[in-house]
Amino acid sequence: MDDQMKQIGDNQPGQKSPLRPMLAVRRGRQLRPFFFHMGPVALSITSVLLIGLMAVLYLGQVGQAAVANQQLQDIRSQQATLQRENQDLSQTIAIERSPAYITKQAIRAGLVPVNLRNVRTIQVPGLQPVQNPEK
Amino acid sequence: MSTELRRARNRQMVIFLLVCTGMVVLSSRLYYWQITNGPRLAAAANAEHIQNQTVSAPRGLIYDANGALLATNVVRDDVYIEPSQLVTDYPDAYQSERDTLVQKLHSVLTDTSLGTLKNALNSASPTVRIATSITPEQSQKLQNLHLPYTFLEPRTWRTYPGGDLASQILGYVQEQDGASNVVPQGIYGIEKKYNTLLAGKSGSFTAETDLNGNPLTVGSSSEQGVVNSANITLTIDSTIQYEMQQALTQRVKEMNAESGSAIVLNVKTGAIVAMAGAPSFDPNNYGVYAANNGCRNQLQVYSNPVLYCAYEPGSTMKVVTMAAALDLHLIKPTDTIDDTGTLSFADGTPAVSNWEGKGYGIETMTQVLQHSANVGAAWVATQKLGAQRFYPYLANFGFGQATGVLEPESAGLYRSNTDPGWSPSDLARQSFGQSILVTPLQMAVAYQAIANGGTMMQPYLVSSINSNGHATTTQPRVKRQIIHAATSKTLTQMLVSVAQSEHISVPGYHVAIKTGTSTIQGLPDTNTDASVAGYLPASNPQFVILVELDHPTASIYGGSAAGPLWANIAQQLMWHYSIPPDDPASLRP
Repeated sequence: MDDQMKQIGDNQPGQKSPLRPMLAVRRGRQLRPFFFHMGPVALSITSVLLIGLMAVLYLGQVGQAAVANQQLQDIRSQQATLQRENQDLSQTIAIERSPAYITKQAIRAGLVPVNLRNVRTIQVPGLQPVQNPEK
Repeated sequence: MSTELRRARNRQMVIFLLVCTGMVVLSSRLYYWQITNGPRLAAAANAEHIQNQTVSAPRGLIYDANGALLATNVVRDDVYIEPSQLVTDYPDAYQSERDTLVQKLHSVLTDTSLGTLKNALNSASPTVRIATSITPEQSQKLQNLHLPYTFLEPRTWRTYPGGDLASQILGYVQEQDGASNVVPQGIYGIEKKYNTLLAGKSGSFTAETDLNGNPLTVGSSSEQGVVNSANITLTIDSTIQYEMQQALTQRVKEMNAESGSAIVLNVKTGAIVAMAGAPSFDPNNYGVYAANNGCRNQLQVYSNPVLYCAYEPGSTMKVVTMAAALDLHLIKPTDTIDDTGTLSFADGTPAVSNWEGKGYGIETMTQVLQHSANVGAAWVATQKLGAQRFYPYLANFGFGQATGVLEPESAGLYRSNTDPGWSPSDLARQSFGQSILVTPLQMAVAYQAIANGGTMMQPYLVSSINSNGHATTTQPRVKRQIIHAATSKTLTQMLVSVAQSEHISVPGYHVAIKTGTSTIQGLPDTNTDASVAGYLPASNPQFVILVELDHPTASIYGGSAAGPLWANIAQQLMWHYSIPPDDPASLRP
C-alpha cells in the first residue's frame, strides 16, 4: 500500500494522475471491514435485518415482562384474596373460641349453667392441703 | 429591476412574513402549552398512568393470656355507584337502565331500600357510596353479577370477636381524618394507650399503570416500606373475664344497683387476670352506646370503672388501718377496747359511731374487723397510730396515686395531715374508709400486698409486645415492701375469721376477706357502695378479688350484696386453675 501511494505521489506533473482508483481502493477497504465483501445494498438490508432482529428481541423481552407483570398482578390479587380469607377464618375461629359462643352452644345443646349451691366436690384420698412455704 | 422581478420579490416577502407570523403563532402556542401549562399538564398526564398507593400497615392484633384473639382485622367491601357516568352513556334510555340497575342492586343489598338506591342513582355526583361493610356473601354475589357503574372498595375494619368481652380494657378504634387519608385511631383502653405500636406506619408504592390501573413492573417504580405494627398479649384470661362479666352483670341486675366493678389480681405477680365493669359496651358497635353511662350513671360507659370510678371504700379500708398498727407492733389481734357504739374526742373532733350506733362492748381487734366497727378502727388510728404514722402507710399502700395501667385513670383523693384544711376528723373517718376516694384497682393492689407477705407488686395488663418478631415480655416487678411478712400472716388470720363470721365461703378453701358498706355524704344511708375485697387460698394466696356494687337497693350491705358475687368468682378461679384445696375438711358433707 505504501509503495502504491508512493508511486502515485511520484508521478510527474505533466501526467494525469488517476485519483479515482485511490478513492475506490479506500472505499473498498471501508466496505470490507472483515473477511467478506458487502455492497451498499447488502449492507442496508443487513442493517435493516439487524435492527429488525433487535426490535423483535426487545419486543419479546417487553412482552415477557408484560406477561410476568400480569402474572404478578394475578398473584398479588390471589394473595389479597387469601389474606382476606385468612382474616375471615381467624375471626371465625376467634368467635367460635370465645366463651360467649361456647356458652351459647352449650345451652343450645341442652347443658345448663352450673349452680354453685348444687356442686358436690369429691375428695380424693391422700390429697394434701397446700402448705404455706413460710411454715 | 423589471416589474416581474419586483413582483416576485414582493411575493417572496409576503410569503416570508406569513411564514414568520406562523412561526411566531406556533412558538407562542408552544410556550403556552409547554411553559405556562406544562407542569399542570405533565401532572395530569402522570396521574393518568402513574399510581401512588398508600400501603397501610394492618393494625396489630390483641391476644389474651392463652393466645385467644381479642381484637383483629377483617376486610369488608363498600359499594359505590357512578350515577353521572350512567347518564352520559344512556342520555335517552337512562330511566330504564337506572331501574334495571336498582333492581339488581336491591336483590343483593336487601337492607338498602329501592328508594335510597334510586335517589343515589339520581345524584349528580360522579360516585356515591350506597352500602358500607357488606358481608362476604354479598360481595361475591355482586362480583358475579358484573353490574355496570358499580364497584367495590375494600376497607379494613377492626373487629372484636368476643363482643363485649373485656371491652372496657380494649377500648375501640375510630377512623379519623389524617393528613392524606383516613387513619384508624385507638380510643380508650389498650387501643388508645398502645395506638402507636398497634397502628404501625403506612408505606407508599408509586408505579406506572396499565389501562386497568394495575401497576406495571416495566418502567419506573418506587416503594417506601411499611413499618409493621406490633401484636399485644394481655394478662387477661378470657374465661375468667367472661365468667366475671356475666356474674357481675347478673348481680348488678339482681341487686338493682346502678353499676358495678370487679377485678382479679394474681397475688404473686400483680398481673391483672380479669377486670370488668357493668354496664359495659360492645366495641363492634360502640356508637350505639354513646348516650349510655357507666359508673354510678355519671361517667361514660367506655371508661373502665375499675380504674376510673373512685369510691369511698368504707370498711375494706379498716384492714389498711389494722395493717399499719400491727406492723408497728402498736396492737395485737387480741388487744381489746370497750366499744360503746360511739367514740368521742376531747379536742372537739366530731364523734365516730358504728353502723346504726350499735355497741359491741369489749371486743378484740379481730372482732373489730368481724363487727366492722368504725369505733374500733377510729380508736386504732387516733389513739394508737396518729396522723404521723397513719399517712405514710396510706401513701405506701398506693392510695392517691395512679397505677399507670391504663388511661383514663383516677388517682383517688384524700386529705393528709400536710394538706391545708386537714382536721383530726379526717384521720378518724379515713381509718374506716370515709373522706377518702380510692379506685377498685388501688384497693385490690393494697390487698395484694397484704396477701403477698407485705410485698406490693406493680399491677400490669400487658404480658408481652411482639414487634417484628422481637418479643418484649413484662417481668413481674416488686414495687415496695409495705408491711412485714409476719404482719401479713397475722392479718390474714384475722381476715379468715372475718370471712367465717360473714359466712362468705368457698368450699375447700380458707378465704381472707373484708366487706365494705360505705354511705355517701349528702345521700341517705340506704345509698351505699357495697364491696368485698379478699384473697384465697388463705394459706398460700393466689388471687385477690375485689367486687363493688354502686347503690344496690335489693340489699345495701357489702356482705349480702357483693359477697355471693365474690364467692362465685373465687369458686370459678379455683376450678379453672385447679388450685388444690387448703381446707379439705370443709368438703366433707
